[in-house]
Amino acid sequence: MRSVWAVARNTLAQAVRMKIAIVVFLLLIILLPLMSVVMGGDGTLLGKLQTFSSYGLGLIGFLLSILTIAISCFTLSNDLKRKHIYLVLTKPVQRFQLILGKLLGIFILNVTLLAIFGSVLYGCILFIPRLSDAPADQKIQVKYEFFTSRIGIKSELDIEALNQKAIEQFNTLKKNNQLPEGMSVTRILGELRSQEIMKAKSVSPGRIKQWDFENVNVKDPQDPNSAIFVRYKYETSAPTPDDQVYGMWRVGDIRQYEAGTGLLTTPIYSVERQEATKTMHEFPIPANAVSSDRYLAVAFFNNPAVNRTTIIPENVEILYKTGTFTGNYIRATLTILIQLIFLSVLGVALSTWLSFPVAILACLLVFFAGLTNGFITDSISGLGSGIGIIYSLTIKPLLWLIPQFDGAYNPNGYIIDGRTLRWTFLLTTAGITLFVKGLLAMLIGMFIFSRREIAKAVV
Amino acid sequence: MAASENHYAIETVSLTKIFPDWWGRAKVIAVEDLDLKIKHNEIYGFLGPNGSGKTTTLKMILNLLHPSKGATFVMGGIISDPKISARVGYLPEESYLYKYLTARETLDFYGRIFGLPGNIRRSRIETLLEMVGLSGMGNRQIGTFSKGMARRIGLAQALINDPDLLILDEPTSGMDPMGTRQMKDLFVELVKRGKTILLCSHLLADVEDVCDRIGILYGGRMQVEGTVKELLQQKNETQIRTGKLSVQALEKIKSIATSECDKVDVESPMDKLESFFVKIVAQARQEKQRTSGAETGTGISGFLAEKPVVRRDNVLDQLVTAKVQPEPPKESVVETTQAEKSKPAADDQLLRQLSQKSAELSPIQTPATDDVSEPGPKEKPDVKKNVLDELIGKKDTGKTEVTRPDDMEDTADA
Repeated sequence: MRSVWAVARNTLAQAVRMKIAIVVFLLLIILLPLMSVVMGGDGTLLGKLQTFSSYGLGLIGFLLSILTIAISCFTLSNDLKRKHIYLVLTKPVQRFQLILGKLLGIFILNVTLLAIFGSVLYGCILFIPRLSDAPADQKIQVKYEFFTSRIGIKSELDIEALNQKAIEQFNTLKKNNQLPEGMSVTRILGELRSQEIMKAKSVSPGRIKQWDFENVNVKDPQDPNSAIFVRYKYETSAPTPDDQVYGMWRVGDIRQYEAGTGLLTTPIYSVERQEATKTMHEFPIPANAVSSDRYLAVAFFNNPAVNRTTIIPENVEILYKTGTFTGNYIRATLTILIQLIFLSVLGVALSTWLSFPVAILACLLVFFAGLTNGFITDSISGLGSGIGIIYSLTIKPLLWLIPQFDGAYNPNGYIIDGRTLRWTFLLTTAGITLFVKGLLAMLIGMFIFSRREIAKAVV
Repeated sequence: MAASENHYAIETVSLTKIFPDWWGRAKVIAVEDLDLKIKHNEIYGFLGPNGSGKTTTLKMILNLLHPSKGATFVMGGIISDPKISARVGYLPEESYLYKYLTARETLDFYGRIFGLPGNIRRSRIETLLEMVGLSGMGNRQIGTFSKGMARRIGLAQALINDPDLLILDEPTSGMDPMGTRQMKDLFVELVKRGKTILLCSHLLADVEDVCDRIGILYGGRMQVEGTVKELLQQKNETQIRTGKLSVQALEKIKSIATSECDKVDVESPMDKLESFFVKIVAQARQEKQRTSGAETGTGISGFLAEKPVVRRDNVLDQLVTAKVQPEPPKESVVETTQAEKSKPAADDQLLRQLSQKSAELSPIQTPATDDVSEPGPKEKPDVKKNVLDELIGKKDTGKTEVTRPDDMEDTADA
């Protein structure tokens, strides 16, 4: 293994002396603190923190990814092209050890750079509220909504029941011969279905809608500092004056009303808010609203006295704290590290048989495909579902091989919303990205590399 | 070495390399049915014009190319076995070194690949840098080196594992005559220490000077193979070399000679240009003129005589110091191509003196002494020694050759 270590050191030296790592280093060390000053977000302290941390993490992830791709594609292909490898492989180094050494070198570089810039960004994030002259309520908001690590529970619609309803309605229409003419059955069903969904979601003036949450595992509900957050977004059936909505909320164990004992063991909180439509909002309530069987209900009343339109509260969710911001931040940087390791493996594996320009092109393609994985998968599966079995045997497994760096795999979202990035999720991602996809790429690379002729045919 | 006695250092069995074209059809037959057998402890000169398949053969031996047919064995095994490749040193036709590393880091990198422990690695690096005349430039990046200087580092990396087999492809290309000469001296010295060298070159002078056996490759096939003496000796001519003779003596010799054959030429011998060049540079160095280039430095004598560290872990180094012992003044030497076994014998004596000490350190050295005393083709070591003596004599003004080995032993004892 000494030889692996020797190769790793050499790869590190190469990255540093070829100045490519230096450029990325300088870029980040200048940009990150600069961004912390320049970026304002929506003017609130929370907005500034969210914008800065999102761009900061994004920039670190992106630049280090590019660096990783460049180095990993360059190091082996350059050795081959400049024939440095003649002097290495004729010594007691197995070919797979050379690949492992290269990967180890890039890994050490990535860990170092990520640790440095992760710390710089972390420092900047911690300092922004201290240096800010924002009002106290904003600082408190930041404490509860940003510098935290929260788990969210969503209340899903019962789509199956809604489908059933739509079908029933379809049958009724059919029986009464009221089916619209000139429309296919699927289309009619689709329309009915979306009508049902809309009906289930929307709250017309004077009505109440309730969401039930179970298994709300708040650590210590009686702790006065412990809070639960209700998160939602308003849509309206028609534009409202100033795009504002007046909402009345009740949060707590609402079953106590129905029991009719007149006794409240846990408080039910009432919240009234005036807020803009089409953006996410949150309000906190004390955690003691959760019942002893960890149940919590959220009810929304569309007060006809102040609202004239049907209001559709979307993505209603409750959030509560489970960990610390620091722990969450570390997991977020580890997510970036997983991405970097995968890219380095891919780059080295590709350059075992491709020249530098081709390898880096292929690697960049995979990288950007990974960044837009959700979009690509959705659009292609939309197109491909028409060809059924052929699709599921050919394109689908190929699509699966594309790494996922977007959506739930993008750490920014977690940090911005102060949401917990769970260890189990992190480990699963690492397992799939590294130990399945990455390992596959590495084994293919090693196989090709162990078989190929190192020297070129020169006669 | 005893175990590998049965094997050849390098053996190829009907080695063939065909480069196919894009469609897989045979395009070029680079090497065809080559049966190369290189014995242990010899310098084998592998000759051939450009494109004759020399380098292709080397690359197949080193597993950089896969043979189309046939097989190669190195030290009785295959080179991809780390145990075998740990005993091989390779200098390719160009110095494929990492330009961003300094000379010292380069050697350190290769030393680490061989898994050499830190202290041995460091002492070897210093010794090798000194040996190739680049000790002052250890911290300069390879990218700033001239071709010849990079070549020297290339040689140093080939020696860092103290290899039993050295595979050298055009080792002297790009080297100045001083460096070339030193390198050739080194090769002879290494073979005395029990190493085997496969020397691939088209610089015939180099090969002729140092090689025991040569093979000439053309069109991928071995054309002729044999010892240098066998192949080059002209059995029907005689050459006599003496010191300055009086006209009378010359006349006498002439008359004796003409009685046996018609063709007699008498003339003063010309210096070889190489020897002349070496002499001039050595003079300049003695006058302490400055240079930014590679120094001839301590050369082999430095490597072997001035580094007690190396000597301790390899007693062969001590043995080789016998080389710098004074020889009888060369003017008095009468050299003919046939009779000149006297020098190896003298060496032998010194070697035995030295090996009494070294035997305690390692019994393996005994066969090496035998190697040196073996009556082999010994013309070349002598040629080399003359030049080496010149160099040493002029370089180290403070010391004489006689005192050097003693100095060395003092430090070793201390």
